[in-house]
Amino acid sequence: MTIKQKNHIPISQKLSDNEQFFKEKIGVGTSFDLGIRKLKVLNKEVHIYYCNGLCDTQFIIELLKEIIDINDSERQRAQAKQIIENRLVHQQVNPVANLDEAVDQLLSGLIVILIEGESNGFIVDVRSYPGRQPQEPDTEKVVRGARDGYVENIIVNTALTRRRIRDERLRYEIIQVGERSKTDICIAYIKDVADPGLVELVRKELKAIKIDGLTMADKTIEEFLVKQGYNPYPLVRYTERPDVAATHLLEGHVIIMVDTSPSVIITPTTFFHHVQHAEEYRQSPAIGTFVRWVRFIGIFVSIFLLPLWYLFVIEPSLLPEKLSYIGPNEKTNIPTIVQLFIADIGVEFLRMAAIHTPTPLSTAMGLIAAVLIGEIAINVGLFVPEVILYISVSAIGSFATPSYELSIANKIARLFLLLAVAFFKVPGFIIGVTIYILLLVQIRSLNTPYLWPFIPFNPSAFLQILVRRSVPGSKVRPSIVHPQNRQKQPT
Amino acid sequence: MDHEQSKNLQLEQNQKERPMSLIMKVVITGFFGGAFWSLLGYFAYTFHFTELSPNMILLPWAVGDWKYGRLGNFLSIFLIGILSILVALVYYTFFKNMKSIWAGVVYGVALWALIFFVFNPLFPNLQSVAELNRDTTITTICLYILYGVFIGYSISFEAAEHERQKQLTAINE
Repeated sequence: MTIKQKNHIPISQKLSDNEQFFKEKIGVGTSFDLGIRKLKVLNKEVHIYYCNGLCDTQFIIELLKEIIDINDSERQRAQAKQIIENRLVHQQVNPVANLDEAVDQLLSGLIVILIEGESNGFIVDVRSYPGRQPQEPDTEKVVRGARDGYVENIIVNTALTRRRIRDERLRYEIIQVGERSKTDICIAYIKDVADPGLVELVRKELKAIKIDGLTMADKTIEEFLVKQGYNPYPLVRYTERPDVAATHLLEGHVIIMVDTSPSVIITPTTFFHHVQHAEEYRQSPAIGTFVRWVRFIGIFVSIFLLPLWYLFVIEPSLLPEKLSYIGPNEKTNIPTIVQLFIADIGVEFLRMAAIHTPTPLSTAMGLIAAVLIGEIAINVGLFVPEVILYISVSAIGSFATPSYELSIANKIARLFLLLAVAFFKVPGFIIGVTIYILLLVQIRSLNTPYLWPFIPFNPSAFLQILVRRSVPGSKVRPSIVHPQNRQKQPT
Repeated sequence: MDHEQSKNLQLEQNQKERPMSLIMKVVITGFFGGAFWSLLGYFAYTFHFTELSPNMILLPWAVGDWKYGRLGNFLSIFLIGILSILVALVYYTFFKNMKSIWAGVVYGVALWALIFFVFNPLFPNLQSVAELNRDTTITTICLYILYGVFIGYSISFEAAEHERQKQLTAINE
């Protein structure tokens, strides 16, 4: 009940009432970063409210100079408000009629100007947020190509994208989510390409979010959007590269940008979006195809190599004659499956430690891992050399997965397959793989089948996955995004 | 110069890309599905997950000893692909409106039952199901399930997309 009333408090003509409101509601005078500057212009009180960390002092000084100058050069006291509005030398000046809107804007870093005897104030956009310059994202490096990446500021991010698509049909819809955080979220799409149904779905889902704050920004949004549950597979693709985002916009995808996060969400996404990388498109088609195939092998190996090898260890009779050398030659003290799990979890220790270890220490950590654990574990009789070999190969396979999220999900799948093999041998492996594929097949992310274009099969799109087509040769947009306009190249 | 280039049909960007018709997609899906999953079957045979290799379909014919070798198997994979077009067309005719992937699973199991129980006498080397070893039974059922899902889900999905496209153009006109 109180919320509704509060939303409509008009600006009072008495400035002391307004000041009282600001003091009570947002703690001007209590919080040190909020301040008020009182001036006298044409014999009228003028109050300027600001939030000192979020606005640019230089701009405010310029504005103040101009406003104070009014006292020397203007005579018409009756029109104080119009004169002040005229003298606000800035392109983004908006009138405001109620205090709650003023508070919202003030806390975003804009300044609020209230004039004695007026029930309308002005809001001037002098925002300047602390942030870094665009730099190459660590997770998506390319040898050649643009080195700029998204930053934590949504305005810069939309600008970086707009630089690549000057189309008048590019739309940036902005909405605010979060009762307390009031985070800006931008839905970007190209109006005559993107599926309006999908845009509507995304808009509806975003508006339905009820939460106090979005401190984890895009990740929180993703969880609301795709309702993932405990499925480990990533249902949306993230990118920090504006060129990747722009490519997807042109293909008819919908992009969601969340303020305070340098990664944007690409929807809808399938499994095969996670196995491609910008690097393939910076090389010639033949090289790109080669790179892609090597990467596919890496991903495949990271899932299936360990369970398969372990199956051959416990049932050597499965191996064809020529491959019979596979499997450990010496007897070991610890069952192979336990070795595999210890080693795999060891690799996981390393990976996790590497994320938050300072760089100088991580060199030492790598040394310890390689020399001490690898060498000595074998000498002590803990591990068979082959275990180390296969664990390393599958670990490198998962590092070759371009999507970080996918590589971890694959790791979980691999551990489950290993368990299935350990318990049920051949039937465990076969049934395990079958169930694994069926689970992937039935996943739908925003009404998009996850394994498309493999299952359900789409010949031409599948060819596009296997072979990196040359850009002049790929003329149609992928059908899975239901583009309104199939042809990429205008004829 | 620009004008000349735009007429040059040899250039990649000047070739037209025609949308595939639905029935063509069904045929290709059928062929690819048959070939791909029987290739996996051959892989499973190599690693002794199953005693049956794709050349099963060649065995009733007296074509020479090469049918047991690699050539025989690859030829069989190709032939299974061709036969699989028929399977896909049957699914397309009768079940294309089933949206769930379970339709595909059931279709796969039904195919397996058809081949291993009903057509069993056609294959001289195929023992009755009771005599097959456990691994073979499980591996073949799983392969047929995946194959069924591949065929079923693909065709149902394409048919639904096709329907959707038709409705959209109807609305636009």
